[in-house]
Amino acid sequence: MRGLWTMVANDLRQRIRDKSVVIFSLVVPLALMGVLNLSFGGFDSGSVDLKPAVVIASSEDSGQLGDALLEAVESLPVMDVTVRKVTAGDVRRETKTTGADLGIILPADFTTAVTSGQALSVQVVEGDAAGIETDVLISVVDALLGQFAAGTVAAEAGGSAGLPHDVLGGLAQQAAAGTPALTLSEGQASAEQLSLKGTLVAGQTGLFLLFTVGFGVLGLLAEREKGTLSRLQSTPVAPGTIITAKALVGFILGVVATAILLAAGSILFGVSFGSPAVVALLVLAVAAAATSLTFIVARLVRSAEQANIAQSILAMVLGIAGGAFFPIEASGFLATLMDLNPIAAFIRGLGITAGGGGVTDVAVPLTVMLGFATVATLASRALPDRGARA
Amino acid sequence: MQRAQVLGVKGLVKRYGDHTVVDDVSFHIGAGETYGLLGPNGAGKTTIISMVSGLIPADTGSIEVAGSAMTPASTRLKSHIGLVPQELAIYPDLTAKENLQFFGRLQGLSGRDLKARTGEVLDLIGLADRAGEQTKKFSGGMKRRLNIGIGLLHRPALLILDEPTVGVDPQSRNSILESVEALATEGMAVLYTTHYMEEAERLCDRIAIIDEGRIQAEGTRGELVELTGGVDRIDLHGSGNTGAAASALRRLPGVKHVDGGASGLTLTVHNGPGLLAPVVAEAGGAGMALSSVEIVRPDLESVFLHLTGKALRD
Repeated sequence: MRGLWTMVANDLRQRIRDKSVVIFSLVVPLALMGVLNLSFGGFDSGSVDLKPAVVIASSEDSGQLGDALLEAVESLPVMDVTVRKVTAGDVRRETKTTGADLGIILPADFTTAVTSGQALSVQVVEGDAAGIETDVLISVVDALLGQFAAGTVAAEAGGSAGLPHDVLGGLAQQAAAGTPALTLSEGQASAEQLSLKGTLVAGQTGLFLLFTVGFGVLGLLAEREKGTLSRLQSTPVAPGTIITAKALVGFILGVVATAILLAAGSILFGVSFGSPAVVALLVLAVAAAATSLTFIVARLVRSAEQANIAQSILAMVLGIAGGAFFPIEASGFLATLMDLNPIAAFIRGLGITAGGGGVTDVAVPLTVMLGFATVATLASRALPDRGARA
Repeated sequence: MQRAQVLGVKGLVKRYGDHTVVDDVSFHIGAGETYGLLGPNGAGKTTIISMVSGLIPADTGSIEVAGSAMTPASTRLKSHIGLVPQELAIYPDLTAKENLQFFGRLQGLSGRDLKARTGEVLDLIGLADRAGEQTKKFSGGMKRRLNIGIGLLHRPALLILDEPTVGVDPQSRNSILESVEALATEGMAVLYTTHYMEEAERLCDRIAIIDEGRIQAEGTRGELVELTGGVDRIDLHGSGNTGAAASALRRLPGVKHVDGGASGLTLTVHNGPGLLAPVVAEAGGAGMALSSVEIVRPDLESVFLHLTGKALRD
């Protein structure tokens, strides 16, 4: 055991000193996360900045609801809106000539129509430079009219029931302007879904983990090419110690790099992956799965160049199929196969923890990753040894 | 004097496919003895060393190190061996001291013993003042010396040096050879492979001449030279009565043959140095005016040529 840890410490010291691990396992993936977030991060929820908007509106309603509607538009919390009141005949022209985002024409009997249950029509005019802000404003006006329509329905129902006219008006106004009894609020659940930013951070972390653990097997091949392998083999260390040390180095580098990338990604891109303890379990499991692949690579290759190529192919195939760049949809056998991908399981696990999931919730992804590690390690023993093992 | 045997090799055979790389090789080395394997590249020297070090298994035959059988699975026995591979087996990103301490720990050294031994070896190989530098900044000769230092750090009973001076400048080469000479005097058994005849002659108590995987001959330098017939050559350069000198020298005991012309004579003799004085006296007495005299003794190159029919560096 002493020889094993001596070799591990020696390898880690060299890897840190030559800086290749730091560059390839931390700097490059963080830079790539940044680029991808700049490219795709705008699609993420809450990340669209709405510009200030101008609304041209007629305000000839004799009652209070017309002004209430315009005040509601002007006080939207998601964007700055300026409402300029003109006569009904000028709304269309003013909207077109001033570059306003939207024109609204309220009928003079707007409040009366709402409170008496009569049909009414509100016209909107889109500005020439209509954009997402105009769409938002139209949606808001539509939603407000929907609420006012509730007042109309209440007035009609009251009339059918024989309520007096003055009671009907009050009832309709209350229904139109009152606070809704039912509200919809957005919450989080362990639904295996990360935000786009979260997916990019988790995916890039998983992808580069497959490269990082490769430093272990590359170290073994470098020993052979430098001539130090025969000297190591001539020392009194137990058989298998050298390959175990290299795998352990890959595992340790993988765990540390993955932990740093997730932490840095969380801070830099505002992503939360949930319970650190459960995330740590996922990191250990995915690092074990990735390291097990290096046993197979070590069996199949004869040189560092071959190992680099093999490791890159495995990383790209498993990384992309696992959703490192974008979610992959599949069905049937292919879907089952993709579910067994440790990178996909890792991202899925992080989705669960991000939604508040605990250890029992991530049992399936953990099982997939540890099962993959076991199968790959056993499979490597069945493969013909082409000379890289020690 | 009978030396305690450190390494015993018997009937060693190694084949790769149909090609027999090492063929029935046997030899032994005692404590404090330097044993040379002299042969051209591809003769099988490194394969023998790999089997003796426990890196690869022998097909047949046996290897005993310090009285125990050595195989690739003989983990503990490997601590009796210090291997200095032909390639530079050092880490370029580590300092000289870190390289020594890393391999020292693998050999079981620790604490004060490791620290003290590291200092001793750094002094021995002349790198004490560069101990803290990364070895990638070292010259080829410095790297070679460190390569040897790592092999002897744990005071092995048997030090195996595989062509340690390949690609080394003359100054560093001499320094390496002096270090090896010093080790033998400390009681370490040394197995030294080389294709440089001069190194084998200078360092080795006994030498095995190896070619195509077989030991062609083994013995001390003198014993090997005897295989060629043991004759020296004396070249006499000068003028005067060379004909009379040739006749007089042919009658001198120990002289086997005399050739020559007007500018000089070539004598084939037993024990050239011993005959030099009477030869010079007889030639001068016969009227030959000598300008120079040279004794040419047979060397291991001659022995190799005699045994294999080809030159050592072929």
